[in-house]
Amino acid sequence: MRTVRRFLRERSAVAGASFVIVLVLAAVIGPFLDAIPPNVIDHALIGFPQPPSAAHWLGTDLIGRDEFIRALYGARVSLLVGASAMLVSFAIGIFYGAIAGAASGAVDNLMMRFVDAMLSFPTFFLLLIVAALTEKFSLSIIILIIGLTSWPGLARLVRAEVLSLRERDFVEAARALGASPLRLVVRHLIPNALAPVVVAAAFAIGDNILAESSLSFFGLGVQPPAPSWGNMLQDALTPQAEAAPWMVLVPGLGIVATVLAFSVIADGIRVALDTSIGQETGDADVEEVGPYNPVPAPAS
Amino acid sequence: MINFIIRRILGAIPLLLFISVVTYAMMALAPGGPAAVLGPRGQGLSPEAIARINAAYGLDKPWYIQYFYWLKQLLLHGSLGTSYVDNRPVIEKVFEKLPITIEMVGLALLLTLIIALPIGIYAGAHRGSFFDNASSAVGFVFYGMPVFWLAIVLIDVFAVQLQWFPSSGLSSLGQENNPLDRLWHLTLPVVAIALVSFVSWMRYQRSSIIEAMSSAYIRTARSKGLSERDVLVRHAFRNALLPIVTLLGLSLPALVGGAYFVEYVFSIPGVGYLTFSSIFARDYPTLMAITMLTAVLIVVGNLLADVAYAMVDPRIRYS
Repeated sequence: MRTVRRFLRERSAVAGASFVIVLVLAAVIGPFLDAIPPNVIDHALIGFPQPPSAAHWLGTDLIGRDEFIRALYGARVSLLVGASAMLVSFAIGIFYGAIAGAASGAVDNLMMRFVDAMLSFPTFFLLLIVAALTEKFSLSIIILIIGLTSWPGLARLVRAEVLSLRERDFVEAARALGASPLRLVVRHLIPNALAPVVVAAAFAIGDNILAESSLSFFGLGVQPPAPSWGNMLQDALTPQAEAAPWMVLVPGLGIVATVLAFSVIADGIRVALDTSIGQETGDADVEEVGPYNPVPAPAS
Repeated sequence: MINFIIRRILGAIPLLLFISVVTYAMMALAPGGPAAVLGPRGQGLSPEAIARINAAYGLDKPWYIQYFYWLKQLLLHGSLGTSYVDNRPVIEKVFEKLPITIEMVGLALLLTLIIALPIGIYAGAHRGSFFDNASSAVGFVFYGMPVFWLAIVLIDVFAVQLQWFPSSGLSSLGQENNPLDRLWHLTLPVVAIALVSFVSWMRYQRSSIIEAMSSAYIRTARSKGLSERDVLVRHAFRNALLPIVTLLGLSLPALVGGAYFVEYVFSIPGVGYLTFSSIFARDYPTLMAITMLTAVLIVVGNLLADVAYAMVDPRIRYS
């Protein structure tokens, strides 16, 4: 309760959370209310993209499809992929990190070496290589691709958290009472390492949305005609779209606003939970810091 | 120091081998291949022809045999194979694109530092001030901005509407050797990269200034009566630059492959562009070469970062 109250005091975080709630409602309910499928082509408008008007709130694209409806469907894709990929990567990352931290010694060393190898690649390069190997780009494949390439950073975070927790008295007590290693990890270590993980989760949803739109933009994600913010931007790249700036602005601002919203939410949760982890907002460069790197973590 | 470097290079060999095995296996098991690349053009290759093409590339063997053959070629002949698309040695293909990407990303890195360091230092020195909050708010916005979108917006505004800069390519017709023309073409891509990447450098510089300002030697400098400006410029600033030196080394891989989006949107024929065309052509030898190049650069970048760090900071000793 205290945490919720502290979160509500962060004005930007509340604004971000409100935006996400509205977006989720719109993305879930919107298409049902309107009952307009996203790919209805207005043949009279082919080749004549219309600016925003009463009939088409955010204008139309090159073949007369309504940008607003498509953006709503795109929001649904982005939120779904962002959240599901986060769940995939967190399911892997939390267990991997917790086991490495609890095991320690040679096992831990070997497990973290693998994490280092994965982390040393630029995030998007890894994503590209994995996407290059797939043939079918269904939503679940996209979610898996993003989830399977984004867990190592989290594994490292959870491991560090577990390493510091396992020296605490309550863990010692549980061990003394004869708790099995599995019980230690599941009942004691993971729940107590959760605070920074929640912050990282909010950041991860934003990052995943960015990843999905990047993949879709390059034709390695959601395939047309299904709308996604990324492939809507791909449509806007053609020379004929130069006279239609709304085709660039609608999906682009959708991505920017949503990722920004998740960042400020994450920051708000961090303040509310009073944890210093996850406060850096850098991009992949920050994540790539290698195992031998003496750069200190950014202080709060 | 020499010992340390040698040990690190030896330690990197298993890592590189591991990366190459995993990538090779994934690519060998993925769909595609030279027959598929030729297929659409050759229209309906007979099964015998497909078998012949695969045999020519050694693809009729299991993947681990292929891998050892690949490794042998690399170690004995310094070759990474030939491209499925045009049969040229992939090393040649990658290395002819490399200078273009290095030039563009190098310029972008320079611009990034020019923007990020002063802002980070000022924000860190005036923590909690309006400027600090404003710069971190702007940082949040750019953090969530897809670089390809920013690139499209820049093209729309500065190339299409204002017509100040060209929208794509590296040079105007007949101006291939004019450095000013090249710079003019590179302006928008470089600005796009710098605007999305300055955020992390700025945050790093800010936190490292904050950390430096809370150290004991700053208290000493203050207590001997130095002005706040002298404390910042002569003491905190110099120490706060140390982590940046390390980050520079770590950004080496990004220097080579980190501009896929921008190269794609601006049609700049660099390594990023080659990566995309290889992906769409399923040209695995080329992708394999790019992956290995990236991996080697990561190792070298990490090592350079450590060495540079030891050189600028006498407190660091490797034994």
